[in-house]
Amino acid sequence: MNNYNSAVTPELQLSIEQFYYREARLLDGRQYQTWLGLVDPAISYSMPGRGNPMVNNREHGNEAMISVERELEGLDSDGLPIRDEGFLVLSLRVERSFKMNAWAETPPARTRRIVGNIEITDVTGEQFFVLSNFHLFYARPGVPDSFYAGQRRDVLVRDGDHYKILKREIVMDMANANVPTLGLFL
Amino acid sequence: MTIKIRDVVNNDATLISRRAWSDDHIYELEKKGIFAKTWLFLGHESQVRKPGDFVQAFMCETPIILSRGEDNEVHAMVNSCTHRGLPVCRSDKGNTKRFICPYHNWSYKIDGELAVIPQEKTMKCKSDKSQLGLKKVPRVESWRGLIFGCFDEYVEPLEDHLGNMKFYLGAFLDRFPNGIEFVGSPQRWVIDANWKVPMENQLGDVNHGPYLHAAVVPQEAADEINEFGYSVVPGKGHGATFRLMPEDAPVDNVAWGMETITGILGGEEVQNYLREIQASAEERVGPVRARMKGLAYGVYPNLSFLWSNAGFKVSHPRGPGKVEYWSWSIVPADAPEHLKKVLRNNHASFFGPGGILEQEDSEAWMQQYLGSKIDFADDRPYYYGLGLGLEKPHPDLPGMVDNTANEHYARAFYLRWRDALLAVEDEA
Ligand code: FES
Ligand SMILES: [Fe+2]
Repeated sequence: MNNYNSAVTPELQLSIEQFYYREARLLDGRQYQTWLGLVDPAISYSMPGRGNPMVNNREHGNEAMISVERELEGLDSDGLPIRDEGFLVLSLRVERSFKMNAWAETPPARTRRIVGNIEITDVTGEQFFVLSNFHLFYARPGVPDSFYAGQRRDVLVRDGDHYKILKREIVMDMANANVPTLGLFL
Repeated sequence: MTIKIRDVVNNDATLISRRAWSDDHIYELEKKGIFAKTWLFLGHESQVRKPGDFVQAFMCETPIILSRGEDNEVHAMVNSCTHRGLPVCRSDKGNTKRFICPYHNWSYKIDGELAVIPQEKTMKCKSDKSQLGLKKVPRVESWRGLIFGCFDEYVEPLEDHLGNMKFYLGAFLDRFPNGIEFVGSPQRWVIDANWKVPMENQLGDVNHGPYLHAAVVPQEAADEINEFGYSVVPGKGHGATFRLMPEDAPVDNVAWGMETITGILGGEEVQNYLREIQASAEERVGPVRARMKGLAYGVYPNLSFLWSNAGFKVSHPRGPGKVEYWSWSIVPADAPEHLKKVLRNNHASFFGPGGILEQEDSEAWMQQYLGSKIDFADDRPYYYGLGLGLEKPHPDLPGMVDNTANEHYARAFYLRWRDALLAVEDEA
């Protein structure tokens, strides 16, 4: 990966940042139906499990020894991702949010997220590989407030003047799932 | 004033005090009367296949290492150094020759025996290392790959503890030509709820499905449960719920996995694989159990199982008001690798911390804990009397049987729970 990819112009960076800000506003505003419009029908949406593997002695002294990657049980691993979803399951989640009996969010959770460190790592044709970080505050009545932190690893595709999310892998920064749910739109 | 157990659960367990789920003293009695004396689930043999393999487990709040020794036997021991108590193993799983304590580097063999005290080099006197190994779990037994441990060395054999539950567990575990295996690390979900609440939910509380989950569960699923559903109390505080499909039901309506999103979206290859298993299920589990399409099970005191959204779950207490709820996805052991990657998703996305369904449950569990903690309502214990006395024996199904609205599963659980606590209540 080059430090500076010449395909990443200030205009591109700006338009992708604008995309993420808009997405964050839709999600915190509970406009999930509109948000689904930003999702490519072929989306792969996943959240790896995160374990505490043994340190490999042979990697002693190398960065690989404590890399984040080795903790992840993602789609390609033999382990267990926490989420592995396509458009249909995401649609089901959206549909659920607008039913009277989505009890975990009745009344709805209040969320506020800051998406930052938006880094376009690669551009191939109409596809954009983008890393970003998020912090999210989550509150709902009767239970303690929660804080979520993680990284998104996205592939966006150009869609006219906008983008659509073709792939999203969400790496959560938690040891145990110490939150009411990881079933949010993250 | 200390609460008396006879005031917590009445004689037929139709009324249970809110304190059962919130009182510190009761929690201490649960440790003594249940977790110190009952078979507790530790893991599955697929997690420790080779000598040196280990995974972490818990028995109540006590950290456990489950391992396969050089002798090829399964061992379970407390993950706490005999020197000053630090955990000697910090990884979820792996393969090793030694567990080395970080503090002073005492090292232990894979079966828990103390191997080396490095400080001995510089000292004349030698300690008796044979007495200084990790504390062993005195009884470890397994059935169909499910490994349990018990801190009471005089406990009844595991198979007696499981009793009739073997019939129902076997309907699933024996359904596959080579049984099942556990996938990856458990999902560990910390919920502000009492440990018994998730347990009760899987033990037999099918009846919440069409209500709490109405946003996701389609009406047809609820109708099928109404028509073919059973709730069985096999004895010993266990519970099993399932649909017993008619003899002429099409294969696709019975086969394990066909009704989940994974089965529905999995395509021909996945579906044909599931059909094949069903086609030969009768040879392995007999005609009645071949028609079984399970819902959820509970094994006293804190192991649960989900049939379609294939998972095992353990409810690890962390005090009266907190639970560490572990979920593993399971797949047929002899499924081709690429199908395992599809089938593992039966559990996640619907259950576990990211689950679209279980998020409603976890909300209910947190709220039940809050309701169990309130003041000024002790004259309104919870009512567990639905269906009292309607359960009956059944010619094909061992245990007491009724439809899924009968709360006999919970009464049976809390009667055993009450006995267990009464037995230790007066120990000073
Ligand atoms: S505490 Fe383990 S070696 Fe000292
Ligand atoms: Fe549920």
